[in-house]
Amino acid sequence: MKPTLKSRISSSLFALPYTLCFAAFLLFPICYGFYISLHDFELLSKEHPFVGLSNYIAIFTPNSYENALFFRGLWATIQFVIFSVPLLIIAGLAIAMLVNALPSKLRGLFRTFYFIPYALSASVMAVIWLMMFDTNAGFLNSMLQKLGGQSIPWLTGTPWAWVSLIITTLWWTIGFNMIIFINALNQVPEDYYEAASIDGASSWSKFIYITLPTIRPVMLFVMITSTIASFNIYAQPFLLTRGGPGDTTRVLLINVLDHAFIRKEVGSASAMAIIMALIIIIISLVQYRLTYGRKEGN
Amino acid sequence: MRKKGSMLVTLIIMVTLIAAGCSGGNTNNTTNDSTSQGNKSQSSNSENTKKGKTKLLFWSPFSGADGPFMKNIVDSYNASQDQYSMEFVIQPNGEYYKMLDVALNASKDSPDLVIMHLDQIPTYQSKGQLQAIDDLAANAGISKADYVEAPIDYATIDGKWYGIPLDIHPLVMYYNKDLFEKAGITSVPTNRAEFDAAVEKLTDQQANVYGYVVPTLWPQQFIFPTLVWQNGGELWDGDNVAYNSPEAVEMIEWMRGLIDKGVSPSNVQQDGENTLFLQGKNAIQFNGPWMKSQFDEAGLNFGVAPVPQIGKAKPAVFGGSHNFAIPQGVTDEGILAGIGDFLKYVSSNSLDWAESGQALASKPMLESAEFKALPQSAIAESFSYVQFAPNVLNWPTISEPIWGELNNALLGNKPAQQAMDDAAAKSQQAIGK
Repeated sequence: MKPTLKSRISSSLFALPYTLCFAAFLLFPICYGFYISLHDFELLSKEHPFVGLSNYIAIFTPNSYENALFFRGLWATIQFVIFSVPLLIIAGLAIAMLVNALPSKLRGLFRTFYFIPYALSASVMAVIWLMMFDTNAGFLNSMLQKLGGQSIPWLTGTPWAWVSLIITTLWWTIGFNMIIFINALNQVPEDYYEAASIDGASSWSKFIYITLPTIRPVMLFVMITSTIASFNIYAQPFLLTRGGPGDTTRVLLINVLDHAFIRKEVGSASAMAIIMALIIIIISLVQYRLTYGRKEGN
Repeated sequence: MRKKGSMLVTLIIMVTLIAAGCSGGNTNNTTNDSTSQGNKSQSSNSENTKKGKTKLLFWSPFSGADGPFMKNIVDSYNASQDQYSMEFVIQPNGEYYKMLDVALNASKDSPDLVIMHLDQIPTYQSKGQLQAIDDLAANAGISKADYVEAPIDYATIDGKWYGIPLDIHPLVMYYNKDLFEKAGITSVPTNRAEFDAAVEKLTDQQANVYGYVVPTLWPQQFIFPTLVWQNGGELWDGDNVAYNSPEAVEMIEWMRGLIDKGVSPSNVQQDGENTLFLQGKNAIQFNGPWMKSQFDEAGLNFGVAPVPQIGKAKPAVFGGSHNFAIPQGVTDEGILAGIGDFLKYVSSNSLDWAESGQALASKPMLESAEFKALPQSAIAESFSYVQFAPNVLNWPTISEPIWGELNNALLGNKPAQQAMDDAAAKSQQAIGK
C-alpha cells in the first residue's frame, strides 16, 4: 500500500516541530561550535581570524598548554567513566528488580523515593553530600567513629575522592536508569518465566537466559546514556572536591569551561569539546557493536 | 531484527548529538540568552525615552545577599532626581563575566555601566573594552583623592583612570569570642608569635576544638598570597611566576606545621573550616567580609579583625575590590553625563552598601561616624597595605595550578617546595601563549 499525498503531508507536519527544534537547538549550535573551533575566537577581541585546524593541532602538540589541559582532564574523566558506568547499570538494574519484587502498594512509594534525587539541582546535591562527607564534622565519619573505626578522608584522599564522587553520582542519577529498567522488566512476557519454571530453571538462569536477553535493547540504551552522562561529569567534582586532591579529580569539562570562559579562548575550547564529542560517539558505536555484533547491526 | 537495528542506529546518533550539543554548543546558548535579554532592555529603553528620562543600564554580579543593598542605592538615586532612570540588572555571580563578554561582543545591547572586579580591569582595558573615565569624573566632580589609593593606582593604566572603587574586600580574621574567653586570651593576635601561642591555647583536642583549622582549598586564593607578601615573597616577579620562592615555601610549611602540631585537623575538605567555625569548634578563620552575614544569622559570638602579620617582612593582605567601569562602546553624551551623575551620588551615598558587610573605598564614607559605628570598620585598618592580584594578562589561568598543588602540599601528599615547583612548571605552560 502506497502512502497517499495527504498522509505524507500530514505525517511530515507531525515531524516538523521536532525538526525545527532540532535544527535550532542542536544542528545549528553544533555547526557553529565547529565553525568557532576553526577560528582564533578570543571572547573579548573584536576580530576572530580563521586559523584552520591549528586549535586542533595545539591540543595534540606535546607539552603545549592546551595539550596538558585536555589530556589531564580527559584522563580524570575516563577514570570516572570506567568506574561509574558499570555501577550505574548494575545498580540501576538491581534496584529496578528489587522495587519490582515489592508488593504493588509499596512499589510506587519506593519508585518515588529512588527517583527524587534525580530531580534535585546540583547545588542541593552538593550541600547534602558536603555535610555527609565532611572529614571532621560529617555524618559518615561521626558514624564510623561511633562504631570505633577510623575517619576516612572522603573528599581529600585517593581513592576516596573517586569513591565519593561515584557514590554521589549513583545517589543523584540512579533513579533515571531504574525507571527505564522497571519499564523494560515489565515488558518481559510472563509466559517465558512460567515455561522456564515448568522446565525447572533456577531464578539465576531465568535472569541470565530470559530477563537479560529480552531487555538487551534497553540495556544498550542505558549503557549509552550513562556513558554520555558520565563523560559530561562536571558538577560533582566542581562543587565537592574542587578538582582535588591536587588535580586528581579535575575532569575534562572543568578544564574546557575554564579555557572558554576564564581564559576566554572559546575557539580552542570548542575544538576540545568537538574532540570530546567524537570520543563519545566512537565509544557509543563500539558499545553498540559489542552488544549486537557486526552482522545484525547492518 | 533489521528494522530494530536501524532504529537503534538512529537512537545512538540522536543521543550522541545531544551530548555534542551540550558540550559544543555552550557558547551559543549564552549568546541566545543575552541577546534576548538585550532586546528586552532595548525595547524598554525606547519606552522610557518617550517619558523624557535618559535611560541607563547598569549591570552587576550581586546575585547573593548583597543584591538588595545595591538595589536600595539605585532606587533612592532614581527617586532623588527626574533626569535619569537607572535600570539595575543583577546577573548570576558565577556567570557574570561570561554574560558580560557576550554582551560586549554583541556591542549594540550592552550595558552602559558595569561592576567589575579590580583585577579584571587590566584584561578588559588591554582588549579595548573599557573607556578612560578621567573626563567623566572631572565633569561630575569625582576626585581620585576621595578614594583609598591602592585600587586607584591599580586601575590607572598608562596615566588613565578606568575604574571607580565601590568597596575593598580584603582577607579578614574572624574569631570566636567565647572560645577566646575560655582560653583566657584577652587581646586579638597581631603577629606570628601571638598567633602561634593563641592557637595552641585555643586547641582542646579532648573537646575536638581547634585553634585554627587550615583550609586546603578556597579561600586559600586569598590566604596564600597574603602570607607570601607578608613574608617578603612575590607571586609574580615581572615576567615569571615567583611563588616557588623560599619565602612562599616557608609559609606553606608554617600552615602544614599547624596541622602536624594538631592545632588544625588534617584532610580539611572544601568549607570544612567554616563548618567547624559555625559549630564553635574552630576558634579562628581567615575569610572574606562577605561571610559576616552568615555568622550573624548563625548567632555566633564572633569578632572581626585584620589578619595578623604572620610573615616576617611587612604587613600585607590580599584583597578584591568592586569597581564601576564604563564599556568602550558607550559614547552618547547624555548617557555619559547620567553615569557621572549617578557615580557622584554613590560616592556620597554608599552607606547602604556598607550595611551588606563590605568596607567602602570612598574616604569621606570611611571617615563618617555612621561607618565607624559598623563592626567592619576594623577591616578598613588594613587598607593602607592591601594588595591585589598581580596585574598580568591571564593571571587567573596562570595561577590556577597553585591551588591544586597547594592542596597537595597541605594534605601532606607532597613536600611544599616540590609542590610549588610542579605548579610553577604548569604555570609556565599557561604563560606560553
